[in-house]
Amino acid sequence: MEAWNGDEFEFEGAGYNLNQTMIDIYDKLNETYNHATNENPEEVYDPGEPSISEIEGINSSYKDSFAQYGDAAIVVISRPSAESKDYLPGGIKEGLGAEEPLALTTNERDIIEVAKESFDKVIVLVNTATAVEIGDLKNDPEIDAILWIGFPGCYGMLGVADVLCGRTSPSGGLFDIFPTYNMSAPAMQNMGKMYYTNTAEEITRTGGVLGFVPGAYTIEAESIYVGYRYYETRYYDSVAGTGNASDPTGAYASTTEWNYDNEVAYGFGYGLSYTTFSFEFEGEPVFDITVDPETGAPNAYATFNVKVTNTGDVAGKTPVQIYGQAPYTPGGVEKSAIQLLNFEKTEVLNPGASEVVSVKVDLQYIASYDETYDNGDGTTGTYIMDPGDYYFSVGNGAHDALNHIMAAQGMDASKMSGTGNAAQAYKKTIDEDFISKTLFSVSKTGYKISNQLPYADWNYYQPGEVTYLTRTDWAGTFPQTYDAMTLTNEELINNLNGYTYELQTDDDTSSIVWGEDNGIQFYEMYGVPYDDPKWDDLLDQLTLEEAMYIFSFGGPSIPGAESIGTVETYMTENAGNGIAVALNASKDPTAPWAIPAEDPNGNWHPQVFGNAPLGASTFNPELMRELGEFTGIESLFTGINILWGPGLNTHRHAYNGRNGEYYSEDPVLSGVAAMEFAIGALDYGLVAAPKHFAFNDQESERGGVSPYMTEQRAREVELRAYQIAFEATKYDTEDYDAGMRGLMTSFSKIGSIECTTSEGLMTEILANEWGFIGYAVTDIYDDVDLWAAVLNSGTTCFDTRGQSGFYDQTTLESSNLFRNLIGGMSLNANLIDGDANLQLKLKEAVHKNIYAWSVSHLMNRYNATTHIESQMTWWRATYYGLMGVSAALMVVGAVMYVVSSKGKKKEEK
Amino acid sequence: MNMKKQGLAFYLNVLAVILGIVGVILTVVSSTMTTDNALSNLPVLVIAGIVGIILVCIAIYAPNRWGNHDPVSFISVVAAIALYSYLFGAAVSQRIMLIAGLFSYNSGNTAGWSIFYVSVAAWVCLIVGILFLIVGSFLKSVKE
Repeated sequence: MEAWNGDEFEFEGAGYNLNQTMIDIYDKLNETYNHATNENPEEVYDPGEPSISEIEGINSSYKDSFAQYGDAAIVVISRPSAESKDYLPGGIKEGLGAEEPLALTTNERDIIEVAKESFDKVIVLVNTATAVEIGDLKNDPEIDAILWIGFPGCYGMLGVADVLCGRTSPSGGLFDIFPTYNMSAPAMQNMGKMYYTNTAEEITRTGGVLGFVPGAYTIEAESIYVGYRYYETRYYDSVAGTGNASDPTGAYASTTEWNYDNEVAYGFGYGLSYTTFSFEFEGEPVFDITVDPETGAPNAYATFNVKVTNTGDVAGKTPVQIYGQAPYTPGGVEKSAIQLLNFEKTEVLNPGASEVVSVKVDLQYIASYDETYDNGDGTTGTYIMDPGDYYFSVGNGAHDALNHIMAAQGMDASKMSGTGNAAQAYKKTIDEDFISKTLFSVSKTGYKISNQLPYADWNYYQPGEVTYLTRTDWAGTFPQTYDAMTLTNEELINNLNGYTYELQTDDDTSSIVWGEDNGIQFYEMYGVPYDDPKWDDLLDQLTLEEAMYIFSFGGPSIPGAESIGTVETYMTENAGNGIAVALNASKDPTAPWAIPAEDPNGNWHPQVFGNAPLGASTFNPELMRELGEFTGIESLFTGINILWGPGLNTHRHAYNGRNGEYYSEDPVLSGVAAMEFAIGALDYGLVAAPKHFAFNDQESERGGVSPYMTEQRAREVELRAYQIAFEATKYDTEDYDAGMRGLMTSFSKIGSIECTTSEGLMTEILANEWGFIGYAVTDIYDDVDLWAAVLNSGTTCFDTRGQSGFYDQTTLESSNLFRNLIGGMSLNANLIDGDANLQLKLKEAVHKNIYAWSVSHLMNRYNATTHIESQMTWWRATYYGLMGVSAALMVVGAVMYVVSSKGKKKEEK
Repeated sequence: MNMKKQGLAFYLNVLAVILGIVGVILTVVSSTMTTDNALSNLPVLVIAGIVGIILVCIAIYAPNRWGNHDPVSFISVVAAIALYSYLFGAAVSQRIMLIAGLFSYNSGNTAGWSIFYVSVAAWVCLIVGILFLIVGSFLKSVKE
């Protein structure tokens, strides 16, 4: 095709005949129910669906049109996802016939009923980024198909059309579990807006330039049991008859028992196809376990070869999901009964065809974090592998995989939901001789792992006030709602008020070199490894003030540093699946990236892809990487070398209004998706900076919220996704330690400490354990009042959107962002003159920033002659010209006025 | 001053004084609602506003002494317009990022919205005051 006209992307363009009568009705109704392109969730939500009577009000004989299009009705159920707002429990407009915002309203159900009455086939498209409550639709025999389509972007409806007509077979798996009632998730007992009872008395820190409300918190009492980990583990225990799992506590569908079938509509990772597949392990898995003799760093993998056969009648492909189960002892370390370990995807298999797919599992992800483990060196807490029987299985989602394990364990099939195939499970007995209990107590960098986030746990400060969910007693520990916590602990209050770093004023800093002339320029650093001494020489050239500029202003505009030959540059863009800078944004027709006016893609807006959950649901690493590669190419056109994305927070629950930007509730699925994206992007010099590191679990009061949780939960759920992405072990070679080179921190705290100021998070875990080297920027204007503590933690710069003109109109002293630092100080070029620790941290932060620049295509702009030359563009000349003309007219007017006044007075005389 | 002799420009200038006073007060209020969103050069802005108000007062008085369209009132009005404009422009430029946030990613910033509303009220006062001064400059201050 020579040019796209847009019709190709509608259903009609894909060969469907649409009912024009209904289109006209909805066009008319759209005047009343005007849906924005990027609509927000609301705390009191109204999906804005018209009633049948309103449809009749537009065209009372609308049903007459059905005869002509009677073969199939497509009903679309939508819920938006966007930044800054969540859905809240019970937060739905009154009178809609639903008690929760993600439940179907009367009007939505009524239109489905009309479809059922009038059409041979009824298809429901679920256009959401989160789990909506469709359990009864699942069980409705008159509904022929339900297809979750995510937010398909500008072109995804083509794929939907292809799937519906059978041109292609669907091949994904659900990104989250779809419970019958979202409120049944233990996480839902503590979400939304909760404030300390004595905020006014104890919290002195202000809300910053973004006006955040101090004193908000959430107790994540569900422990590790997020999403499917809760439902599947409780299911397992209910069949096993352990842990009071069948007790009705926490059940929403029954007052007498907790039952999986009642509580869950569709499981995590579950997906359908027009064909069917069989899965069988091809031989024994291959275990490859080595330990670095020098550092003790483990490399422990199991490769499962799975023979997948298309046993149906049409061609199709399928994910190959490997799950695992670690042995659980009541009262011991919490363990999920099932967890995703890795996945791959088959090629398209014709009927009868087979393919052996190898899935390599990193065994560290089946290890458990034991916060109480005595490391014998004065520290506590590390990853452990309890000796016992470990199970691995391949299945169509977590529930199917768990059933296979349960079948292999000989559990009572009559109590199970669904059936299991023992042949799809594999048991491996692990003892000290095979994998030592503490094999994973050392990270891949060779760093000893121990507790780093004790302050994440409310009980650390005020013991015994919070009960975390344990599978030892589901009924007795199902989370209560902690909505009236009172601050009594002094350290807790001190932390919340931001007093976590004491600035030194009289350290001896004479050995720290600034302003040296070593004759090195930034452009010479291309390809220089991070630990090469040449970096030290370059960094020594910076003046202390230049380094403070680089740390303080991290983008989008970054300051230049004359001493190393960098210039002020616009560097970053804020987006998830693409760069939101129109390709034809440049009006300079001579620019190398200029798009000719006649180019049919001139108005292409790059943010066209499906949203993150949709990408995750493909379970297709290759596709995830292609998206990164495409965005990398796009970044070359747009001149953006760091992307503040993708979103990598966990879907703690379905009510997070921003779930559409994050992949999944599962850290492995999320981590792999982000890793593939980042590696693909970096191939073209685009540094992906996933956000928001970490624990950005809700939008409600996101700016000041303190999520309290156990360190086990923090590491096994939230942080694991980042760990997978940052370590990028899949792409390591002997010569190159692959990884992401950027991140954005979270607005939220971890417990009482801001993520941006947490040394445990930013230095111990991120840098030391995972080996992260790169650009670690705050979220917009976040924690600017904690400038010194942010620098101390290992965060490398601030997001200072809107600030530019450095050394001139924007200085360290004049920027409005850094005027109200904790302790009554304000930023100035001499602030850390007497603090040796911060000067060294500053060097390190700047080193990481500049290193990230050097591996990006920012380098394309640098050589020995790089400098800034002011250009007199036509619009600037016009601007100055208009100012000059206005000034001249004013002067002439004034003169004429005076002359005329004098003339009038003379005449009067 | 004989009130019976005052022309339309007199009344417009008086209104401009009142609007200037309200504008300055609201600017101060918007700057002191939160410490994090204080205007960086509030004292300068306040002085500019006060001087502008004083100049308008001079422009009210001067025609009674030297007649309509006298140089003193002319210069005073022009300078007052410039100072009102400066106060308005400087305040707007410092609120742009706040407003951008309110209308996009930070719509839940209740303190920010309060500052926004007060700021807008201040700006309306100043702009209307400027318009009154401009219109008044074409009219007579004293009846002849």
